[in-house]
Amino acid sequence: MSNNKKYWKSIEDLQDNPEFIKKQMNEFAEPIPFEALTNADAKGDDTSGTNRRDFLKYMGFSVTAASLAACETPVRNVIPYVNKPEEVTPGVASYYASSYYDGNEFASILVKTREGRPIKFEYNEKGLVKGISSRVQASVLTLYDSARLRFATKNNSEIAWDKADAEVAAKLAKATNIRIVTNTIISPSTKAVVADFAAKYPSTKHITNDAISYNAIVKANEFCFGKAVIPTYKFDKANVVVSVGADFLGTWLDVPNYAGAYVKNRKPTKENPTMSKLVSFEAIMSLTGANADYRFQTKPSQYGAVLVTLYNEIAKLQGTPALTAIATEYTKEIAALAKELVAAKGKSLVVCGANDVNLQKIVNGINVSLNNVGVTVDVDNHSNLFQGDDAALEALIAEMASGKVDAIIINGANPAYTNKAFAAALPKVGLRIATADRADETASLCEYILPDSNFLESWNDFNPSVGVYTLQQPTIQPLGKTRQFQDTLLKLAGSTKNYYSIIQSTWETTFGAKGELDFTAFWNKALHDGVVMLTPTAGVSTSSCGANCGVGLSEAATKIAGYKGGAWELVMYQKNLGTGTLSNNPWLQELPDPISKVCWDNYITMSPVQMKEMGLTTLLEQESKMSVIEISVNGVAMKVPVFPSPGQKTNTIGLALGYGRTLAGKVGNNVGVNAYPAVKFENGNYSYLNINTTVGTKEIDKAIVATTQTHQTLMGRHIIHEASLAEFKNDPKAGNDRDLFVLKDGKTVEHKTAQEMDLWATPSLPGNERPNHFWNMSIDLNTCLGCGDCVTACNVENNIAVVGKDEIRRGREMHWLRIDRYYSSDSSQETGKAGMIGNYLDMEIASANPSVVFQPVMCQHCNHAPCENVCPVLATTHSSEGLNQMTYNRCIGTRYCANNCPYKVRRFNWFRYTENEKFDYTMLGEVERMVLNPDVTVRTRGVIEKCSMCVQRIQEGKLKAKTESRRPIDGEIKTACQQACSTGAIIFGDNNDVTSQVTKAKADDRMYHLLEELNVQPSVFYQTKIRNNEGTKFFAEAEHEAEHEAHAEGHATEAHATTEHHN
Amino acid sequence: MSHYESPLRKPLILQDKTLHDITEDICRPIEQKPTKLWYAAFTVASICLVWWVVCVSYTLGTGLGTWGTNKTIGWAWDITNFVWWVGIGHAGTLISAVLLLFRQKWRLSINRSAEAMTIFAVICAASFIVSHMGRPWLAYWPLPLPNQFGSLWVNFNSALVWDVFAISTYFSVSLVFWYTGLIPDFAVLRDRAIAKNLAPWRKSFYSIVSFGWMGTAKNWQRFEEVSLVLAGLSTPLVLSVHTIVSMDFATSIIPGWHTTIFPPYFVAGAIFSGFAMVQTLLIITRKILNLEAYITIYHIDMMNRVIMITGSIVGCAYITEFFIAWYSGVEYESYCFVNRATGAYWWAYWSMMTCNVFSPQIFWSKKARTSVALTFVVSIFVNIGMWFERYVIIVSSLHRDFLPSSWSMHHPTFTEVGIFIGSLGLFFVLFLLFAKFFPVIAMSELKTIVKSSSTQAKKYQKENVELVTSH
Repeated sequence: MSNNKKYWKSIEDLQDNPEFIKKQMNEFAEPIPFEALTNADAKGDDTSGTNRRDFLKYMGFSVTAASLAACETPVRNVIPYVNKPEEVTPGVASYYASSYYDGNEFASILVKTREGRPIKFEYNEKGLVKGISSRVQASVLTLYDSARLRFATKNNSEIAWDKADAEVAAKLAKATNIRIVTNTIISPSTKAVVADFAAKYPSTKHITNDAISYNAIVKANEFCFGKAVIPTYKFDKANVVVSVGADFLGTWLDVPNYAGAYVKNRKPTKENPTMSKLVSFEAIMSLTGANADYRFQTKPSQYGAVLVTLYNEIAKLQGTPALTAIATEYTKEIAALAKELVAAKGKSLVVCGANDVNLQKIVNGINVSLNNVGVTVDVDNHSNLFQGDDAALEALIAEMASGKVDAIIINGANPAYTNKAFAAALPKVGLRIATADRADETASLCEYILPDSNFLESWNDFNPSVGVYTLQQPTIQPLGKTRQFQDTLLKLAGSTKNYYSIIQSTWETTFGAKGELDFTAFWNKALHDGVVMLTPTAGVSTSSCGANCGVGLSEAATKIAGYKGGAWELVMYQKNLGTGTLSNNPWLQELPDPISKVCWDNYITMSPVQMKEMGLTTLLEQESKMSVIEISVNGVAMKVPVFPSPGQKTNTIGLALGYGRTLAGKVGNNVGVNAYPAVKFENGNYSYLNINTTVGTKEIDKAIVATTQTHQTLMGRHIIHEASLAEFKNDPKAGNDRDLFVLKDGKTVEHKTAQEMDLWATPSLPGNERPNHFWNMSIDLNTCLGCGDCVTACNVENNIAVVGKDEIRRGREMHWLRIDRYYSSDSSQETGKAGMIGNYLDMEIASANPSVVFQPVMCQHCNHAPCENVCPVLATTHSSEGLNQMTYNRCIGTRYCANNCPYKVRRFNWFRYTENEKFDYTMLGEVERMVLNPDVTVRTRGVIEKCSMCVQRIQEGKLKAKTESRRPIDGEIKTACQQACSTGAIIFGDNNDVTSQVTKAKADDRMYHLLEELNVQPSVFYQTKIRNNEGTKFFAEAEHEAEHEAHAEGHATEAHATTEHHN
Repeated sequence: MSHYESPLRKPLILQDKTLHDITEDICRPIEQKPTKLWYAAFTVASICLVWWVVCVSYTLGTGLGTWGTNKTIGWAWDITNFVWWVGIGHAGTLISAVLLLFRQKWRLSINRSAEAMTIFAVICAASFIVSHMGRPWLAYWPLPLPNQFGSLWVNFNSALVWDVFAISTYFSVSLVFWYTGLIPDFAVLRDRAIAKNLAPWRKSFYSIVSFGWMGTAKNWQRFEEVSLVLAGLSTPLVLSVHTIVSMDFATSIIPGWHTTIFPPYFVAGAIFSGFAMVQTLLIITRKILNLEAYITIYHIDMMNRVIMITGSIVGCAYITEFFIAWYSGVEYESYCFVNRATGAYWWAYWSMMTCNVFSPQIFWSKKARTSVALTFVVSIFVNIGMWFERYVIIVSSLHRDFLPSSWSMHHPTFTEVGIFIGSLGLFFVLFLLFAKFFPVIAMSELKTIVKSSSTQAKKYQKENVELVTSH
């Protein structure tokens, strides 16, 4: 023991206290009261101990607390950027200029992205069109479409890109007849890429196939003017427009351009009460016919006769030689029309929708004789759209069928869907490569699918018309392993360049030569702007139809004389879906057809009078099914439901193209019937008019057709204020009687408006002042064409649920904005002779050739809102800026507000659309959901929603102005509907700003409030509709005669209607 | 009890019942096993109740899309049923409160069942208020409760908030009134259970629910006072509840709803339908429980008179509405009423007219009024007619209002119909349980009008005395 040191822990240890030593042996200094914890009878010894009951209590509490904590909603983390990208600020949208082109429609757009996701398109100020169509807007959803392929496939199984490229290139090298089928390419760089490919594989031929062809116009122009182009039509420069079956306000050619231009000349003011006149000859009721000042129901087989007669009448007036006359039913009217046209020589326009070269030649003849070519018909500054060559496609099909073609590459087009012969011939081609974004009808027949990227993931450039160049830039990384078509072609051609560099070099060649020295600066500006416009060359006026024209016209007239219609004639037309490429788009499927208001279907349109004669049901009602009949056309039998369409020419039917897709995706598959087999190759072109159709007269089945509007007429109500131009000239307030209340006091009679009759003087009411802003909206019924682009804009902006056909037919669409369409009726309480009740029944029946009005209706933001008083929980209130606000969180869903809304604009969330499997459209899938606008709450089940006047945009605009220490400038804040409207029918602004457009509109003589007599004092108001249809005496007489006819038909209708009602 | 015995008036209770007879007759069904008829009825009602549970659960789980309502017609069967049930409840209050104040002694045989009917009908009505909401889990929000959501308060302008007050007040007052009346009778049942040594649960159950009633003079005095006070409170409710329910419609702007005639018209309609339901129930009850001596032809006659008069008032209101619609010159209003009678819902309108206006007119004849079978048939007719009245008002007004573009139709779904039929199940389950376990006639009160204290006793005495003397 060298060390005597003693270590001790405590005094007790040092002293060797025996008690301490004893205790030291125990691990625990004091005994743990196990007894007390476990023994129920523990008593006395340890009063502070926990007994069994307490133990159980604690345990119970702990378990409950633990399980409650476990019940918490799973936490989903938002991960912030580690390095914030320069252009992305969370919560702030970035906009990129780009272009949209789908082979059918071109648009210059701004892509709105939020946190890197493209969520909405707006029109590009620098582009030609100041609006954006439904199809373009809805196409943002294609990016998030779950039907898109995420990788390349070979015989339906995934193949690596490298492997696919190598295999395909090897096969192409051996091929002796390569064909590329695309829709019209308007991209100069893509054309260069195709040319490169053709240089590498010299057996390559490029065939252009448009789903719906306008080839006859091109051919006729080549024949007459030596230019195989679609001209630019200038509707704004025409004072008289005649359309023969051309729906240029709906779906014909370049509609967005035409609609905006057309209304420019349709805005009469007090100072300048003039407007153009639109005359339409058509079989089905189209948007153009619905907006026409005069509409003449004409069978498709008579289109040629109408044109020839018009040509002859004009020739007669001008003393030029006429063509062989063909009889029409409208001889007098056409003679009067010819006078009008000649009077407006050089300021008129005649267009025809038939894809028939003979008819188009006559049209050219008329426009030439009226000196319109070079003014309203510009073949020099032509459009580049629709270069499809029908004959070339027919030749290709023949080649394919004969087995001559050994490799085919298909892009953009879906010919197996639009052309049954192509589908039959395609399997005979050795190497079949599709570059579709999904395994559609054509791609699924191909060995290789090398999926194209979405246009939001790709680079491109476009030259939609002479002198207009635009760029398309990617706004998101490709979501799947896809590659854009041009890069695929480059790869197959063995090029090492990528498409982006090709575009740059194309542009450098195009614009570098035009004095653009600093190409980088030019390129950056072009990319920023999205559009480069060259100064257009003046159109050359052509007074003659070329050398061979005279002979050509009489030949054409002779051929037209041979067109003999059968018992029934069929018109194939387009609806919201267009040609069918966007079939898998729920927004478009659910957008009501502008005329029929039907969603999710195509159907036969037929005159209701004739339907009743045939014993087909005309009752529109959610539980009532429509009759299905069989039609046989072009050797194909189709079973299609029939839908009544007032204004349809007797013995004609209409059927929309673009439906009946089988491989479009979960939304678009098997919606409606594919009408393309009815398209016939006739006179060298695909004809969308079949003048010899067999229509089964018997109902063979019943089917539900979902429509959002089951009642067609105004019932004599003062809902639409309208006047003729002549009346408007005399009195700008014509048709706009707002002094609805008549006070009689002895001999004095006073007229007062609803507001003057108010018991409570409005401005003095506390809380009714609008000290800061007073947001108002004006809707011009005169320039509203009823197209529904605003509805789509609203749907996209405001995360509006798509509910599907079954819910639509139950009257539960969620659209905040709808367009009411009313037909005129021959009967009224004043003129009817069937007694009060009978008159009401008659007033429900639309005229045989009705005049049509469209009225967009959204929440009117009443300043005496009936919805606000009745909400028990104050979930809907008024803002100090005049907005009727909806607090979703507070709403308990009594629906009292919806009941009490006289405009019926409030929508109820019947289901939880974001989680209910039945509604797999835009909100259920994780990918589809990416399209939702983060600025707008997605509504839960059981709450009411409605138009907020895009309060998120107002707020954004106000904040922007505030940060810049200024007031918002008029026009700076735009609602989504206003922004989409290419005719500018919707004006939104601050009524407290005396210089604002909306304040001026409010003071206009044409202004009125909808249901003004209720004195709910809406913030939304309308402008009277003016029709230019009392111009000449002759037209009035013609109208009168037509009316007589309509009356005769109307009476037949009456009898039927009465019996039906009593059944 | 000191009653003046009018030699002219017929007795309200037949068959010379003594006080003891009353106790026996009314307690017997409670103390015995239920009859087969009761079991059969209870089974049917329970099945309906299960259906109700299923349909309501489906609605709550999936959403109101399971019903047939749409963007134009926000209310249909839900509010129709709500108003119908609330209306039915009215007779109970009228009988127990208004007739009490007017000292209509004939009410004593029927007030208990009528009040029970009120309570159950209001429960059914309330179920529709909750289930028609988009977010029923927030059903307490229309109550002005202090809360932590900020300065959130209810909208006192809204007729729905008035409704919440009206219905909840009505329910609580009716419940207290009904229960107060039950206390002495429960005490009777308790005492009998102890005396006869019946099942232990009876002893404890009736002991608890009778609140220790001793039948002392003080007990009776307080009982009388409370009854009178509650009667006074209930009386305005007879008018207020349906007035306020009618304001749900009257304060709106929808043609066909926006009508000043609604409050009196609804109150009359409510009494009308309430009495019809009382007739339906009592005709069954008196048969099943052998209570013909208490619920007599006289009662049926009296109630039929009320039905006839209120039915005619309602008929006048229908005609007045039409006159005003024409006289106002408002096109929406005129159309609404023409459409109501001749449009798509003409069948509902004419069912209503037939059942409500034409069918009770038969009661001008005394023979009809005193026929039990006919009364039963008419009472069912009136019940149906009054349901259609609400359906016509709600749906036919909404389905074609201002803008023809939104005009629509309502088609009920399986769920919607299921909830209505199920609510009948709920009602009858409650009523049958009531009839089994509670005294269906207010025994102690009824005894106040028994003339056995005089006629019967004298008769008995006479017979017995004679017997004694003969020995």
